This record gives sequence, structure tokens and C-alpha cells, in this order.
Amino acid sequence: MMKPAGIAALLLVLGGAQGGSPPEAGPVPPDGSLPPGTRASLPPIALERRLARRLQATVGDTVALSLEPGGPARAALVVAVYEPPSDPARVARREYGLRLHLPDLAALLGAEDRVDRFAVALREGVAPESAAARFNRIAFGFRAVPSVAIANQASQTFVVVSRFHDAIAVISVVASAVFLLCIMLLKVEERRHDAALMRLIGVRRRTIFGALLLEAVLVAAVGSGLGLGLALLASVATNAYYQRFFDTSLVFSLVTPGVVAFSVALSLGLGVAAGALAAWRLVRTRPVVLWGRG
Amino acid sequence: MPAALRNLRRHPMRSGLALAGVAVTTAMLLDMVLLSRGIERSFERLLLGRGYQIRVSPKGTLPFDTEATLAGATALRRTLESDPAVEAVGPFLGTSLHARRGDSLVTLFGYGIDPAAQALYQLEEGADLAPGDTAGVLLSRPAAQAIGAGIGDTVSLLGRLDPQTASAAVERRLVVRGLARWLYDYRGQPSVGTVLAVMQDLAWQRAEDRVSAMVVRVREGADLEAVVERLRAAAPRAEVNSVGELVAHFRQRLAYFRQLSSILGTISLGVTVLLVATLMTITVNERLGEIATLRAIGIGRGTIVRGVLAESLVLTVAGGGLGVGLGSVTARYLDQILTAFPGLPAAISFFVPEPRSLALAAGTLLATGVLAGVYPAVLAARAPIAATLRAEAT
Repeated sequence: MMKPAGIAALLLVLGGAQGGSPPEAGPVPPDGSLPPGTRASLPPIALERRLARRLQATVGDTVALSLEPGGPARAALVVAVYEPPSDPARVARREYGLRLHLPDLAALLGAEDRVDRFAVALREGVAPESAAARFNRIAFGFRAVPSVAIANQASQTFVVVSRFHDAIAVISVVASAVFLLCIMLLKVEERRHDAALMRLIGVRRRTIFGALLLEAVLVAAVGSGLGLGLALLASVATNAYYQRFFDTSLVFSLVTPGVVAFSVALSLGLGVAAGALAAWRLVRTRPVVLWGRG
Repeated sequence: MPAALRNLRRHPMRSGLALAGVAVTTAMLLDMVLLSRGIERSFERLLLGRGYQIRVSPKGTLPFDTEATLAGATALRRTLESDPAVEAVGPFLGTSLHARRGDSLVTLFGYGIDPAAQALYQLEEGADLAPGDTAGVLLSRPAAQAIGAGIGDTVSLLGRLDPQTASAAVERRLVVRGLARWLYDYRGQPSVGTVLAVMQDLAWQRAEDRVSAMVVRVREGADLEAVVERLRAAAPRAEVNSVGELVAHFRQRLAYFRQLSSILGTISLGVTVLLVATLMTITVNERLGEIATLRAIGIGRGTIVRGVLAESLVLTVAGGGLGVGLGSVTARYLDQILTAFPGLPAAISFFVPEPRSLALAAGTLLATGVLAGVYPAVLAARAPIAATLRAEAT
């Protein structure tokens, strides 16, 4: 089964007869003088929610469509307002969309029987690649491409963004690791007098090492928990801000169990390793040196 | 300052780690500063590269943003040129077309230009198109490679392929005059350029004299904003934007990167403050006895405070210096990642060093170093002399 599709840039002005107000900068005069009884014969259109809001149009209003400012306008009847699927590829462009039946659009464009593309549904069991290759062999002037190839091409932008995020994440992890090592080292070194005292009264090195390590584990665990809470709050704030900014339902920040597990494991691992290293350095030092008299 | 360096050398591992931490966060800060304004500057330079300060495109669109075109280009050009402040107007048309290579067809992007007023290419080899040269064509290197043609060769360009009749509605045989670098091409884009009339024929846009957009050069000394307003009034059916306004549109689309760079830059500064402040606080706590002794022998509070602040500053500046080197390397790497965006002009760069941005980053970093030292410095200045000395003695 084939579904033809046409895409065009149009200008819209809300019709004056049925209410609403024209867009702020619409140069096309509104189509406000429809003869009685013509509404039923108007081509139906569906407006994207953002566009309907911009035009203050609702179902039942008429709009004037034209290809360019000052060009001939054609009236159309708003029969639906729709929410387009969230598409990250279009979110930053802030374009407005509307839908017409193909013959109505073709008539408006003055391009009868022309389309931008066809969507082809294959019978079960037919490989899209072989069907596309067959189409390309037998015809001239178009290119048949399997949907997967289009999806791969369209997702290139997000592959790039994802690689950028990964690189930034690596830098952040390195910075966090150094920060954590430094803090743990300082934290353990702060206990040098306690460690010296314990050594002087006969507490074994292993016991002191274990105590310091346990302290490091606790600090790392509490820090990880706080960090996780902060990340969840930041994620909620990020989504709330960008969903409002772009007027979309897209999810911009997603805290998955995998991300949580990786982050907690990394911070715990680094914290424990740093604590162990610092504690090992401390217990190897002579007590009198630790006490500051060596 | 020597005392500060000596103090930092007392704990080499601690100081080394702190330096590494400051270096990494500085690298991140530098990268984010470069990213926050780099793409805009790069885009602005690209748009102004040929000296045209205004773009005129179909109403409601930006140049090459949609397939919409402007009809009646000659009349519109005349209207724009009639403004006394306008020095030159260059129309151009972009379209998809094909070239023959043996039995197969190669898909190309075609530019129709006025060679006397163009802002789209730089000639790299061979001869430029002369105004009115309807028999010549310029190729980009990828296009020359794709169709296997060189300077002096004749190529067949086909426009408006019709699948019903299995033929091209129009075919032109043109001589390759030269190789050009098309400024707005993405990497590897096979592009060709002809005079506007030829490309209009190939794109089937001649009858309505259609173009994609126009570039306008304003005379030196003219008030650009006033000219834009006048052109808007003179051409109400077209979208008239100065380069500054186009950059603003572009900035809005790339708001994500600007905001990301602001957030990460701020976090980097926060981490630097925390790191240096923690280190200095612990160091001061360890040296309270020493500080109390210095105070007891008559060293003033101001000297102690200056010493702690100097140590904090030395740590930040030394780490920052390392961070600049590290940041330059990571910026190049990140730029390689981001410039792989599909459809992005190859001339665009995301990380552009600018004296103003770099000075701002350096100033912020220095302020951060001083800020990080404030709390430990106050701690050192307020240390009770007698109690501290007594505690040290026991």
C-alpha cells in the first residue's frame, strides 16, 4: 500500500467572519467574506496545537491559506487541533504544522498529481532492502529508501549529541574523581592525631586502617546518596524548564537505574579507593611523626 | 608568594591532587566559555565573510531554511538597489539537480549566483564565472570527484527529473571553469554553481524569476538598522534580516548548548571553590600553632590573611595554567565531535577562542581563587593566640 505525502510552506490568517484574530504579523488579508453555505464545501484542515494557540483558532473557525504574502488566499475550515508526536529533530526549529488532505494541498500549490514522497507498506515477508533496490532499478527520478535507513540518517544528529554528552561526562568523571581523591585524602589526614594516639596506646594498625576505611565508606555512601538526590532534582528541573522552553512533552533528562548504578558504583569505588590509599599512608607513618614530634 | 609556594610544597601529594582538580575544572570552564559564544561568533564570521550585512529571504523563513523561494527576483533586486545606502545586491537560488556520469546519475546541490555580487563561494582553482557566462560551471572538489570532471571538461547537468517519462525536463552541457569552496556546504557536499539564469532553468524557476534569497551589502558608514527598516518597508513580501538578527535566530536554536555551557561552567567554578577552600581550610587548621606563634611575635593579622590568600591564588593560578593547556586539547576534541552534525556548514566551529571570553574566564578564575581563600584566611586571622599556643604545647 502506498501513501503519498506533500509538504509545503504556507501562510495562514484566521478568518474574520468566524471569530479569532489574525496573527501578529500576518501580511495576508483575512478571508472574512464567505458567502452563506460555502463553509461545508471548504477544504478541512487540522492545526497543530501550538499554531492553533498562536492564531487563537478553534475547531469551526476558518483560516485563509496562501503560499506567499500577497498571493491568492484560499479559505479552509479548521476541523481538528492535534498534538504532533514529540520529535527531537524539530523541537529547536519551532516550526508550526498543519495537515490538509493531499488533493487540497496539491490544488493550493498548483501542483496537481505531484508529491514529495510515498510511504510504502510491504507485504509480510518482503525485505525492505530488496524491495527498495527493485524500485530503484525499474524507475527513474526518485530514490527508494528503507525506513530503517531514513531513521539511521535522521538519528545522526542525536548520535553526535550523544557523543558530545559522553565526552563531557568523561571530563566530569575525571574532575569528580580528582576532587573525591583530594577530599578523602584530606579527610583521613585530618585524623592523624587520633591515629597517632591510637597507635601510641597499642591499637593495631589493621584496626586503625579498618576504622578509617569504614569512615571513608560511610562518607562515600552518604555523599553518593546526596548526589543522587541532587541529580534527581536537577533532572526534574531540567525537564520542567526545557519542556516549557520548547513547549513539548519530550523528556530531556532521564535518570535510569543503569545511570544510578553506574554513578553510585563509581563514587563509592573512588571514595573507598581514595580512603584506603590515604589510610594506608597514615598507618605506615610513625606515631610520633603523626603527632608532630618526629 | 615564596612562603605560599613553600607551604604548598610541604604536602606534595595533597597539593598535586588539588592542582590536578583545579586543572580539570579549569579545562571544563575554558571549554564551556569557548562553547557559549564560539558558535555564534563562527556563524557571524561566516555570514560576514564576504562583506554582505543583510539577507533577504521568503517571508517567515531564513535563508536555505525551507524550500520556499522569492518570485520576481529582478524587480525585488531593483527595489533593494534603489536604496541609496545599498552598495550591492546578490540573488541566489539553491536547488537539487543531477549530473551524468556514464550510465548513472549523480545527485548534486546547485547554486545559481550572480558572479558580480555573490557571498557563497571562494574560488580555489581555475577561472571564476563571468557575469552572463551561461556556458560555464564551478564545481566543489567533492562534486568534481563525484562526477569525475576537472577544469576544462564538459559536464551534463539535469534538472527536474520526471519519473513518468523517465527523462529530464531540462539538460544543460556546461564547461567547468574552476573549482570553488562553497562556504555553506557541509563536509563532502557535492555542489555546483552556475549563473542564476542557468540554475533557474534547471530548477524550472525561470518563468517566475524565483530565487532562494538575496544578500545585500550596505555602504560604509550607513546606519545598518535604519537600512534594514527601510528595506522591510520597501519589500513587505520578503523577510529582511541583518546578520546580527540572523545570529540571534541561530542563538535561539542553539539555546541548549549555551545553557549547557553556562551550567557546566558554573559547576566547574563551584567545584574549584570547594576544592581550594577545603584544602586551604584544612591546611590552616593544621598550621594554627604556627600562625599563633607568628601572631605572638608581632606579625599582623593582615599579613596572615594575605599569606593564606596568596597560597589559595597560587594554587588556582598554577592549576588554571595547566587547565588552559588541557582545555585547549579537549576543546579541539569536542569540536571534532560537534562539527560532525549532519548538514552543518564545514566552516562552522563550536569552540572559538575570543580575547574577551578568555579574559572573562581568567578573571573569573582569579576571583574564584581569592574567594576560596577568604574563609580559611578569616579562620587564620581569628585564631586565639594564647589558647592555640597552650593547646599546641600540650
